Amino acid sequence: MTKNARLAEATHYLHDNALDGLIAFSNGLNNFLEANAVYVFSGLRPIGESAVVLDRDGRSTLIVTPPWDAERAAAVSATDDTIGADELADALKNTAHKHRLTGKRMASVGLSLLGQAVAGRIVAALDDPPQPADDLARDLARVRTAEELAAAERANWIAERGYERLLEYARPGLREFELAAELYCFMKQLGAEDNFLLLSASQHNLAVRAAGERILDVGDIILSEITPCYRGQFVQICRTTVIGEPPPAVRKNYAILQDAMAEGLAAAGAGACVAEVTRAINAVFGKSGYADYCRPPYMRVRGHGLGITSDRPGDIVERNERELESGMMFVMHPNQYLPDSGYLMCGESVVVTPSGARALSARPAALDVIAA
Amino acid sequence: MRTMQPCVTIGSYTWAQDRLPNDEFGLRLDELRRAMAKHGWRAVLAYGDVREHAALAYLSNFIPRVRWGMALLPRDGDARLLCAMSTRDLPAMRTLTWIADVRSGMGPEWDKAFDPRFERFADEPAAQFGTLGFDLMAPVLHDAVRRSLGQRFVLQRADDVVAVPPQRKRPRELTLLRASCKLVQDAAQVFAESWRQKSGKPETAALDAERFARSRAAQDVRTLVSLDGGRTLVPYQGRFDKIAGPLVGYVAVKLMGYWADLFVTVDQGEPSPARRRVEAVLDTLIAAMRPGLRAGELHAKAIAALAPWPLHPALSQSVGHGIGLSLHEAPELCAGSDATLVEDGVYTVQLGVADGAAGHVLLSAIVRIRANGAELLARSRGITAP
Repeated sequence: MTKNARLAEATHYLHDNALDGLIAFSNGLNNFLEANAVYVFSGLRPIGESAVVLDRDGRSTLIVTPPWDAERAAAVSATDDTIGADELADALKNTAHKHRLTGKRMASVGLSLLGQAVAGRIVAALDDPPQPADDLARDLARVRTAEELAAAERANWIAERGYERLLEYARPGLREFELAAELYCFMKQLGAEDNFLLLSASQHNLAVRAAGERILDVGDIILSEITPCYRGQFVQICRTTVIGEPPPAVRKNYAILQDAMAEGLAAAGAGACVAEVTRAINAVFGKSGYADYCRPPYMRVRGHGLGITSDRPGDIVERNERELESGMMFVMHPNQYLPDSGYLMCGESVVVTPSGARALSARPAALDVIAA
Repeated sequence: MRTMQPCVTIGSYTWAQDRLPNDEFGLRLDELRRAMAKHGWRAVLAYGDVREHAALAYLSNFIPRVRWGMALLPRDGDARLLCAMSTRDLPAMRTLTWIADVRSGMGPEWDKAFDPRFERFADEPAAQFGTLGFDLMAPVLHDAVRRSLGQRFVLQRADDVVAVPPQRKRPRELTLLRASCKLVQDAAQVFAESWRQKSGKPETAALDAERFARSRAAQDVRTLVSLDGGRTLVPYQGRFDKIAGPLVGYVAVKLMGYWADLFVTVDQGEPSPARRRVEAVLDTLIAAMRPGLRAGELHAKAIAALAPWPLHPALSQSVGHGIGLSLHEAPELCAGSDATLVEDGVYTVQLGVADGAAGHVLLSAIVRIRANGAELLARSRGITAP
């Protein structure tokens, strides 16, 4: 693999800030809502605690645990060197010495996400604790590269196929977890390496949750938050599916969600700020008489960034003044509880363009029906 | 084995009261309360996250599916559970635990959920709390706990003082472990049969095993496969390539909170010399396991019997460990360990060799220790491909 451009940008950051080195950590959890600094700088989804060490000369080393994962890591990592270790702190001490960083000014990303026992050993192993620069990875990776965008498009293709499978497979008598298992494995077969798959049903939903033991039946409204990861790119689509004929209130309210999505897409052009996008979405609910429902617990956020590359632009909420940039990706979801229909879901992964946000899905979210 | 942690666990989670009734948790808490009385703790804070939550699950049945959870278990009075979920998720969280008082610990909810609760313990200077699992806690959360406690309370690490969960499994735990062992045994069979009969593709075989286990209410499934005939193991790559044998892989399933795991090795044709040796050594180790045996002694026996071949690198110089609510429980069966096996302890025993000439093989068994020997709960089976 050619050297990661983000490593080069991080090297510039070191020079600009008179720093000698950077250590980027991962706790190995690959949280879909957070940037994974080791992934950003190396291209590896780590199994365990891991770190990328970078010096101001641009030399880099990836340290992974467990040690037997080093060969896989070396094959994909953009770093100059890759080593496996039983104990991250010990390996880090040796690596810092090799990079001549002992006693030098260093910055760290993600140290605060590690378990405190591991973090404590690392701080003890380094002569001087590095200064936190926890936003560096998410800032450098805030705009997707062409390769990342292509992977995200593929991930969204997988998500849409997953939803089609739901429409084929869901039926009265099936338990939620059986449906989730089928979708999870189906999308894995298509290449999804991970999946934040929430899927639940009710005749009057309050929110979506992870699948449980409930047996599906006629009249159930199935909510699905389908979130496959393909080559490090998480995407998400949110869908609402009714077993049997939907009540009129559900149809009426779903149309409001679709209108809100359209307004959000139009508002989310490069240069707009997240708060403006949120207000555009909320205004649609306000016009329909539901302004009071545009707050928790009736909804949470109108979307959010997608790890593990970068969770920028952050939550789509009115207090977020961050400016959108072309090439940023996030999920926009005007999901909403309304009193006469319950919670409904309508969401798309989008990429910001100069003229608005472009949804990655070929087929926009619609209220779908499974024949009873 | 370390495996790739999924971002959320999607399986069938609930509090199965027929399997783990209230009185079971009462007995578990009695043991903890005795430790509280002995050490002068007013309460114990038990923490767990999505990856490691054995102590929290043992005491509360709560398993975080994302982020973390923390139980406040007082010596006297009602327990409270704090979970990193928003308030609208709490109805679903309450179905996962016997603790009636479940609160959100997200953002501003933190202060409302815990600070007032602490006041009842503040009638004496610097009251002491025991902590379980705090090593796992991110520093940023630990700072929040510290801020809430202020100078009123002193935290004492309880992990070294009281073993939660205990190495010795309770009768109901053994019942659940037998169920998870049955499921992993069947999943391993699917793994092997898929590769042998249908695909010749390790990742397809692993996915077939995963689908089988998930459709039978597994709460989590982890797999590793070898794409080089058994020399190394890798997590899911999404390649689905056909690979020349042998098949070497790993499957772990969690059912009703309890893990079981097995290695799968399927030779092409006659078993390799390495396979025959590892099979024999595994049988020898299982026969030797009894209460009081030192883990280091078991490891030494394995290494001596495998010589001149060293242990497979994927095993990280260990021939196994405890298993239960955690996929990797104490004790580690490694060189020099003075930890001893206990009656009703459950252990996964793992052996393997990576040798270009003799062959690559990884095999394992899950064993419960009885007073007079071992009960075999699951074992890698001898399957060969034509």
